[in-house]
Amino acid sequence: MVHLILKHLKKYAHLAVLAAVFMVLEVYVDLLQPRLMAQIVDDGILGLNNGGVSDLHIVTSVGLKMLLIVLCGGICGMMSGICTNLCSQNFGNDVRKSAFRKIMHFSFSQTDRFSVGSLITRTTGDVSQVQNMVSQMIRGCVRCAMFFVAGSIALLSLAADFGMVIMIALPVILLEIAFVLWKTNPLFKLLQSRLDRMNTVIQENVAGARVVKAFIQEDRENRRFAEANDDLVSTQFRVLILMSYMRPVMNIVLNLATVAVIYIGSLRVQDGAIAPGKVMAAVTYLSQILNGMMMLAMIFQTVTRGLTSSQRLKEILTTESPITDGSGSAASSGGSVTFRNVCFSYADHGADVLHDINLTVGAGETLAVIGETGCGKSSLVNLIPRFYDADSGTVEVDGTDVRDYPLSVLRDKISIVLQKSELFSTTIKENIRIGNPDATDEEIRRAAVTAQADDFITAQPQQYDTPVAESGMSLSGGQRQRIAISRALVKKAEILILDDSTSALDFRTEASLQKALREDFRYMTKIIIAQRISSVRNADRIAVLDNGTVVACDTHENLLQNCRLYQDIYASQLRKEDA
Amino acid sequence: MAVQANPQQGFGRRGARFGAPVEKPQNAGAALRRLLSYFRAERRFVILMSLTVLISVTASVLAPSFQSSAIDKIVSAQYALLPKALALMLTMHLIHGLTNLLQGWISASLSQRIVSKVRKELFDKIVHLPIAYIDGHSHGDLISRMTNDAENVSNIISSSLSSLFSGVLTLIGTLFMMMYYNIPLGLLSCSTVILTVLFTTFFSRYMRRYYVKRQALLGQLNGTVEEMVTNYKTITAYNRQESVIDSFTETADQLTRTGIIAEIISNCMGPVMNMLSNVSFVIVSVFGAYFALKGYITVGVISAFIIYSKQFSRPINELAQLYGQIQTAIAGAERVFSVLDEKTECFEGAPVKEVSGVIEFRHVDFSYVPEKKIISDFSLKIESGKKIALVGSTGSGKTTVINLLMRFYDIDSGEILLDGQNIRDIALTDLRDSIGIVLQDTKLFSDSIRANLTYAKEGATQEDVEQAARFAHCDKVIAKLPDQYDTMLSQTSVSLSQGEQQLIAIGRAFLSYPRILILDEATSSVDTRTELQIQDAMNELMKDRTSLIIAHRLSTIQDADQIIVMDQGHIVESGTHRELLSRNGKYYDLYMTQFAGQEI
Repeated sequence: MVHLILKHLKKYAHLAVLAAVFMVLEVYVDLLQPRLMAQIVDDGILGLNNGGVSDLHIVTSVGLKMLLIVLCGGICGMMSGICTNLCSQNFGNDVRKSAFRKIMHFSFSQTDRFSVGSLITRTTGDVSQVQNMVSQMIRGCVRCAMFFVAGSIALLSLAADFGMVIMIALPVILLEIAFVLWKTNPLFKLLQSRLDRMNTVIQENVAGARVVKAFIQEDRENRRFAEANDDLVSTQFRVLILMSYMRPVMNIVLNLATVAVIYIGSLRVQDGAIAPGKVMAAVTYLSQILNGMMMLAMIFQTVTRGLTSSQRLKEILTTESPITDGSGSAASSGGSVTFRNVCFSYADHGADVLHDINLTVGAGETLAVIGETGCGKSSLVNLIPRFYDADSGTVEVDGTDVRDYPLSVLRDKISIVLQKSELFSTTIKENIRIGNPDATDEEIRRAAVTAQADDFITAQPQQYDTPVAESGMSLSGGQRQRIAISRALVKKAEILILDDSTSALDFRTEASLQKALREDFRYMTKIIIAQRISSVRNADRIAVLDNGTVVACDTHENLLQNCRLYQDIYASQLRKEDA
Repeated sequence: MAVQANPQQGFGRRGARFGAPVEKPQNAGAALRRLLSYFRAERRFVILMSLTVLISVTASVLAPSFQSSAIDKIVSAQYALLPKALALMLTMHLIHGLTNLLQGWISASLSQRIVSKVRKELFDKIVHLPIAYIDGHSHGDLISRMTNDAENVSNIISSSLSSLFSGVLTLIGTLFMMMYYNIPLGLLSCSTVILTVLFTTFFSRYMRRYYVKRQALLGQLNGTVEEMVTNYKTITAYNRQESVIDSFTETADQLTRTGIIAEIISNCMGPVMNMLSNVSFVIVSVFGAYFALKGYITVGVISAFIIYSKQFSRPINELAQLYGQIQTAIAGAERVFSVLDEKTECFEGAPVKEVSGVIEFRHVDFSYVPEKKIISDFSLKIESGKKIALVGSTGSGKTTVINLLMRFYDIDSGEILLDGQNIRDIALTDLRDSIGIVLQDTKLFSDSIRANLTYAKEGATQEDVEQAARFAHCDKVIAKLPDQYDTMLSQTSVSLSQGEQQLIAIGRAFLSYPRILILDEATSSVDTRTELQIQDAMNELMKDRTSLIIAHRLSTIQDADQIIVMDQGHIVESGTHRELLSRNGKYYDLYMTQFAGQEI
C-alpha cells in the first residue's frame, strides 16, 4: 500500500518537501508568539528587567515585530497549502487515470469478480480518500509533529517542571485517541456494509416496484427495510457516541493540564525562577501542543480511511489481466473459426460450462447455435474475441490460435452483438459510430437500414441526432437491439457474432434483418445464437449444444432427420398439431 | 472516442445530478417548520439538550475569568489565594467537559431517532406509491432522496442543531464577559473577528464559482466512469479502450486543473484565518499591555482575553459554515417532503375472498400521456378456467392491458370487472392477491433463492418449494448452485443467466398458486423446449384456473383456448389457433413469418 502511494508520489516529491518546509515555518511562527507576548508582559508591563518600571516602547516594538512575523507565517502557510495541493491533486489524478486504464484492460472474469459497482466506487470515492490522506499526511503530520516537538522544547525551555505535565497529559490523550480509533475502526467497515445493504433494499424496491405490488409484499418490504435501517442506525449511533467522547475528554485533559501548569508556574514564580508572563506563555504553548494532538486524531481517521481505500485501489492496480497480447501477427484473413478440444469453466462456478468442443466455421459460412438455457452458447462465442480464455484446447481464427494475436488485431476481425444491448448516453448516431469511429454518416445510415433500425430512427424527433437517455431507457428492447446490431455492422469485420441479440424483435423484423444480412454481408462469417428455429433454419449449418457439448452440427434438413434434440426443439415450436 | 465529441450533450444531465453545491430551498420557512415538527415528538430530548448546552456554555464562559484571577494572584504574589481560583477554574472545566459528553450522547440519540423515523416514513411511502409515479420519475433521483437527502437532514439535526444553539449562546456570553472586563479591548478583539467574517464571506463567494465548476466536472467524470465501466463489454468488443481512456484523461486533467484553483483558494483560507487570529493575539497582547500599563486592567485579564477572542471567533466561523449546510439540508428536506406528500395507492374496497376468475374489460380507454391513446374501446371477456393469449407487435398495448388489470395504472374510461365486480371497488390487496404475475423484466431480490421463491408465500414448506421449482424447471439450475436453495443472489445476479432468472421468477409465481396467472413475455430468454415443458406443467397446475399469456413466439400460445390479436390498442382478431389460421388475417401473417421461413 505504502509502496503504491510512494510510487505515484515520487514524481511530486519536490512539492511535498516544499510543502513540509513551509509548514514548519508557519508553525514556527505560531510558536514564537507566546514567547513574544511573555516579553510584552514581563518587560513591558511588569518591567522585570528594568527594576519594575514599565516600558511602553517595548510593548509597541515587540507588537510590531509580532505583526511582521505573523505576516510571514501567513505567507508560509499559503505557500505550504499551494504546494500540498499541487502535489496531492496531481497525485490523485495520476492514480485515477492509471486505475481507469487498468480497469479498461481487465478481462471479463476480472470485471465479474470485482463487480461493476465496486469498480466505479474505487475509481471515484477511493481515489478521493487516498488523495485526502496524502494531503493530510503532508500538512497535518508535519504540523502536528512540529507543534509537538518544537512546542515541547519551547515549553521546557520556560521551566523544566512543565515537562511533567506533558508527560502525564500526553499518554492520556494518546490512549484516548487509540481507544476511540480501536473501537471505531471496525465499526466503519460495518457501517459501510450496512449502508450498502440499506441502499440495496431501496434500490430493489424502486426498480422492482411491480413485483412488490403484484405480490402485495409491501409489509414484508417495510419489515426488511426496518431491519436494515435499524441495523444501520444502531451502528451509526455507536460511531457517533464514540466520536463524541473524543473532544470533551480531550478538553478536560487539556484544561486539567492548564491548571497544573498555572500551579507549577506559581511555585516557580514564588522561587523567583521565572516571570509571570512566562506562565501565561506556558499556558498558550500547552494548548498549542495539545491542540496538535487533537488534530492527530482527525488525521488518524483520514489515514485509516485512506489506507482502506488504497488497499482497494492496490487490488486494482496490481491486478494483471491474464488476457494479454500475443506475439504473432495476423497472417491470413477470411474469418474462419475453429474450436479444438475446448474446455471452459467460470472461475467461481467450478463446473465445466463447455466440454471438449470441436467445431469449425469456414470463412463466409453462417453457423447458427441453438440449445437449452444455460447450455453454454454465450460462453462459446465469448471465447472467440478472448473475453475469456479457454481452460484447455485452442480456439483458432484463420488458422492462428487466438492467444497468438495482438488483442486489438483479433478483436478488429470480430464484430459481436451482446445479449444485453449496451447503449451510451449520447446520440443514436454516435452510438452506432462506436463500431467504427471513421464511419461516414452515409455508412451509418446504411448499417441502420440493414439492421432494420432506419425506420424507427428517422421517426424520432431529431432522427440520427436524437440523444439516447439514461442507458437507453427511452427506447424499447427491440429498438436497442437494432441499434446494437447497426453498431456491429458498421464495423465491417470479418466475423459477425449475434449472441441472442434479436430476441426482442418481432418475426417480421427479424426475417427482414436476416434477409438483409444474407444479401448485404454475404462474405462475412456469421455466428448466430438464437432460440427460434425460424432464426436458425437458413444457416449453412446449425450447431446443437447440450450441457456444454456439441451434440450435432449439420443443416436444418439433416438435423431434422438425425438429431433427436433438434427434433424436440423443432417440435416444441410447432406444437402438437403440426408436429 | 467520438462519443465524447460533445460531452455536454451526453453528460450534462448527469453533471447536474452529481454536482450539488449549496442549493437554495424553495420555501425554507415551511420546510423548516415541518422539520421542527419532528422535534416536537422528541420534546424530552430537546429540553434536556437545551439545558446541558446552557450549563456547558456558562461554564466555558466563566472558566477564563477564573484563570485570569489565578494569573493575577501570581502577578501580585498572593499565592495563598491561588488554590481557590484554580479550584474554581478546574470545576468550571469539569462541568463543561461532562456536559459536553452528555450533549454528544443526546444529540446522537436525537438525530438517529429522527432520521430513522424519516427514512421509515419515506420508505413506506415509496412502497405504496403508484407505479405511475415510479415509472414517471428517475429511479436515481428517488433513491438519492432516500439516501443523500435523508442523510443531509440527519447531519443538520445531529451536528448543526446543537452547535447552532451553543454557538449563539457562546457568542453572547463571551461578548458579555469581554465587555464586562474592558469595553475598548473587547471592541478591539471583536474587530478582528469581524474582519475574519468579512474575509470569509468574500472568499467563499469567490470560491463558489470554482466549486460549482468542479462539481460539474466531477459529475461528468463520475458519469464517464459509471457508463464506461458498466458498458465495458462493448468497449472491449470494439477495441475502444484507448479512446475511452483518452477522453477520460482529458476530463480528469480538466478536473484537476479546476480542482487546483478551487483548492488553492480554499487552502489559503486556513492560513489567512490563522493569520487573522494571530493578529488578534497581537492586538490583545499589545493593547492589553497598554491598558494594563495605564492600570485599566490587570495582567490576568490579558490571559482571559486571549481565550475569549478565540472563543468568540470559533462560533462565528462555525455559523458561517452552518449556514450553507443548513440551506443544503433544507433543500434536501424539501425533496424528502415532496415525496412524502405524494398520493399513495388507495387500498380500500370491498374484500373479496374466493375469486372464480372471470375477467371482463368493457369499452376501456387508456393513455399514459393525455394526447396519445394506448388502449381504445377495448372490450374482452375471459371466462374462468380458460387460457388466453395476447399477441401483437411491439407497442400494440399487450403489457398495458396487464398494467390496467393489476391496477398499476387506472383506466381513463370504461370498466374492468373481476367476477362481475368493478376492480376499482375491490380491495387492492385482494385483487392482487388473486393474480400471480411473471413480468417481462425479471426482478429478483438480493436474498437467498428460497426467499425469492417463497416471496409471495412466506412459510411454504420445502416440499412445496421444490415442487414449484420442478414445475418451473429451475430445480436443475438450483441444484448446480453452491448452496442450492440457500444460495444468496448478489445484487447483480451475475451468476444466473437471463433465462435462468426467468425460470426462478416463474417458480415464484407458481408457488403463490394464484386464481389468475399472468405471464408477460416470461419465457423470452428460455429455450423453446424448456418452455414447452413449463407449459405442460402450467396446464396441469392451472387446470381450473384462468391464465393470461403474452408471448412473441407463437408456438408458446398455440394451444390457448382463445388467442387475442392486438394492434394499436385494438383487438383485431380473436379465436383459437385453427380458427385464426383459416381466417388468413393478421395472425396468419404473423404465423407465416415465423414458420414458413424468411422469404417475404
